[in-house]
Amino acid sequence: MKEPREPAAAFDVKDVSFRYLDVAALNGLSMRIQRGERVALLGANGSGKSTLLRLLAGLYFPDAGEISFFGESLTERMLENEQFFYSFRRRVGMVFQNPDIQLFNPSVFDEVAFGPLQLQWPKAQIRERVGETLDLMGISHLRDRAPHRLSGGEKKRVALASVLVLDPEVLLLDEPSAALDPSSQAQIVEFLVSWGNRSKTVITATHDLDTLEDIADRCYVLENGAMAAQGTPLAILHDVALLERTKLVRPHHHVHREGAAQPHPHLHSHLSE
Amino acid sequence: MHIPDGYLSPSTCGVLVAAAAPFWYTALRRVQKTLTSRMVPLLSVFAAFSFVIMMFNLPLPGGTTGHAVGMGVASIVLGPWASMLAISIALVIQAVFFGDGGITAIGANCFNMAIVGSLVSYALYRLIGFRATLGSARRVMAAGIGGYIAINVAALCAAIEFGIQPVLFHDPAGAPLYAPYPLSVSIPAMMLGHLTLAGLAEFIISAGIIAYLQRTDPGLLRLSAPDAADYDSATPAAPEAITFPAARKLWLGMALLLILTPLGTLAVGGAWGEWTAQDLSDPQARAEIAAVSGNRRPPDLVPRGLERLSSVWTAPLSRYAPAFIRSAAFGYFVSAMVGVGLIVVSCLLASWLLAKSPPKAPTAWAPSDRPRRKSFVEKTLRGLVEAMQRTLFAEDMAMARGLLQRFDPRVKLIGVAALVLAAIAVHRISVLAGIFLAAVVLAVLSHISLGTLATRVWLAVAAFTGVIALPAIFLTPGEPVFRLPLLAWPVTLQGVRAAAFLILRAETAATLSILLVLTTLWTHLLGAIRSVRFPAVLVAILGMTYRYTFLFLQIARDMFESRESRLVGVLAPSDRRRLAVSSAGVLLDKSLQLSGEVHMAMQSRGFRGQIRLLDEREMGVANWLLAAGFVAFGALAIWLGR
Repeated sequence: MKEPREPAAAFDVKDVSFRYLDVAALNGLSMRIQRGERVALLGANGSGKSTLLRLLAGLYFPDAGEISFFGESLTERMLENEQFFYSFRRRVGMVFQNPDIQLFNPSVFDEVAFGPLQLQWPKAQIRERVGETLDLMGISHLRDRAPHRLSGGEKKRVALASVLVLDPEVLLLDEPSAALDPSSQAQIVEFLVSWGNRSKTVITATHDLDTLEDIADRCYVLENGAMAAQGTPLAILHDVALLERTKLVRPHHHVHREGAAQPHPHLHSHLSE
Repeated sequence: MHIPDGYLSPSTCGVLVAAAAPFWYTALRRVQKTLTSRMVPLLSVFAAFSFVIMMFNLPLPGGTTGHAVGMGVASIVLGPWASMLAISIALVIQAVFFGDGGITAIGANCFNMAIVGSLVSYALYRLIGFRATLGSARRVMAAGIGGYIAINVAALCAAIEFGIQPVLFHDPAGAPLYAPYPLSVSIPAMMLGHLTLAGLAEFIISAGIIAYLQRTDPGLLRLSAPDAADYDSATPAAPEAITFPAARKLWLGMALLLILTPLGTLAVGGAWGEWTAQDLSDPQARAEIAAVSGNRRPPDLVPRGLERLSSVWTAPLSRYAPAFIRSAAFGYFVSAMVGVGLIVVSCLLASWLLAKSPPKAPTAWAPSDRPRRKSFVEKTLRGLVEAMQRTLFAEDMAMARGLLQRFDPRVKLIGVAALVLAAIAVHRISVLAGIFLAAVVLAVLSHISLGTLATRVWLAVAAFTGVIALPAIFLTPGEPVFRLPLLAWPVTLQGVRAAAFLILRAETAATLSILLVLTTLWTHLLGAIRSVRFPAVLVAILGMTYRYTFLFLQIARDMFESRESRLVGVLAPSDRRRLAVSSAGVLLDKSLQLSGEVHMAMQSRGFRGQIRLLDEREMGVANWLLAAGFVAFGALAIWLGR
């Protein structure tokens, strides 16, 4: 899979719509994500970014439209094929936002070993690879811990380890830095920046604008299940009207020198121009 | 209702495990077929939910509180088969971790509550709610009555298991070796508590949660009511109910088991076999037994049907069998098995008939919208926090560097099993005391302080079993050694011995099981279970259940804490009940939602429904020797204490 030029995009999303029982989550969404690209999906709660991630992960399937993965159509039927299922799961890793969902095993070691076990790697190789991954994430000392004995930052690192152990080509991350303290947040972001040497495709759903430039080369902004905008992080961060409309920033009331209080967008991102 | 260790003889435990096994097997097969890969997270999460529900203190009329088992809810939402598994798993975790119910009595407890309970409540729910629409009040009543009767039938099973013990298992002098009360005492004693408190608690939780689900998530009621009026076309088709062909194997197994029971008792023997062998060869003991048997004539309160059944079973055997098979005791035991078998079979029959009935015309379904009230729930809160602390404490202890902590978990599993078995098998109090002492020494060497044992185990067991054992001192027939002043109640030698046996056995077994828990991490214990060829699926479910039990304890605690903080004044009992039930409902909603999400997380990492686990490493000679040492110790104790 390491040929220099592969014509198909990592993900090609065409006019995709998806409904939960009674709520429309995505409405005719299209996007192309190239191999090796680092993409951020921006949007307020309920804008459809988590749903999109789950569609890309082959956990939901579109009601209308089509998603293809390296040129192959990603359908429920395709994933019933055992060979495609295992190769797809091996190549695409997803980290869920809620650690109580992502971490379902009774201990850290079991958690990280779960993926390789499902893919039926040789057992000796699993032990070795799990050990390496725990070392890489700096969590070897936690191997026998139960998830309820971990801090938020530790949980996130275990969650990442549980996916990275398979060395996926595509990493889907749902709010990786949500609900973490600033130092844990920084650790996760640092790791993501260095991970994979830019040969990996990383798709991050987030509403954290502070780290946007570090984790993404390109952004899509979602609003009510449709595409509101796309562009470089810098361009998106400068479009204050867009950010306000899509509820990514909120007009910030503060008193100016003249003494009059007025609504006024107030970005705290590091725009260095 | 949770039978502790030491109340039932090893042979009774064995028979009940054998009785439960075909149900577990069938349930596993059926559930794997119908629910595919969703089954693993669903069962785990539901077992964790049942576990936490068992910790809820439900306010009852009269100002008391009671605990429910949750078999009503489980069997309605999951169907009887999955419910059996979920509740069994919850019971296993309770027994291993929280000392609720004995390790050797797991088969009995699962049989009574998980299997009989699920079948009875499901059958009654279907029977009573038969023609009603999903949202009807009738279904709420059906669930409540189903739960009420189910827990009472389960209690009756337990009472019968208790009641046959003194008839079957006593030492030559007539002192009962296990539960000391005959059926005439055990049945009224058990039923009194369950017809009132526990039954009501089960009624409230079953009816309440079904009412809650009718409002919030009626799709969950579809599985157990495939014929009821349709209200939502988007609901996925429910897996089929129990059908005759699928149940046929189980029927055969059950029939086979009932026929094999007498043989099984003979083979397992234990106390009873020994009693006969010894006494039949020794003329003096024979005379003694005869005298004692006079006292132990079947009590008058025993239901006629049982007596008739016992003669049915013993009559055809009488000509060929040795004398002891003709004894009333044997007849009782077999009749009890037959009685339980009949209950189970009639439930299966009922659900089979229901599955064949034609669908009913739809009727309007009107959701009601009652407001949720707030109230205090300190008792529950305290229980939840305690359970969490216990778990954390156990994990900390298991990380300590004591003697047992260094052993391979398999050695500990084998060792503790051997010692617990010895503790419930021996017939001499001195040997029992020796095993107890060994357990204490092991505890001290493993840095478990006597204070911990005293507060966590000994006091709790003494309080519970002590109350149960005390009346036996007076009630057991035998030679009076002392009379209570004023009341002139006779204290019999046999009674004192019976009480001593019961308390010491319960204490020893509980001390041994807490040793295992406090020195072994749960994941290591699971690995040990796995290496003795326990099905991988169940090992995985047990692991997930443990993981989510803790999460649900946390969620429930937070829920009750936030309610408590908003409490103003005292609420009427009915409001308190509503609060407890709606909390349980919220927890159920969260549980089921979580199970769906977890399933996705599992899928995304390559899970297709086939559970795969790492095998344990080889154990090594030293550990094998240790395990052999434990087994030899246990065997020696049984031999010395025979």
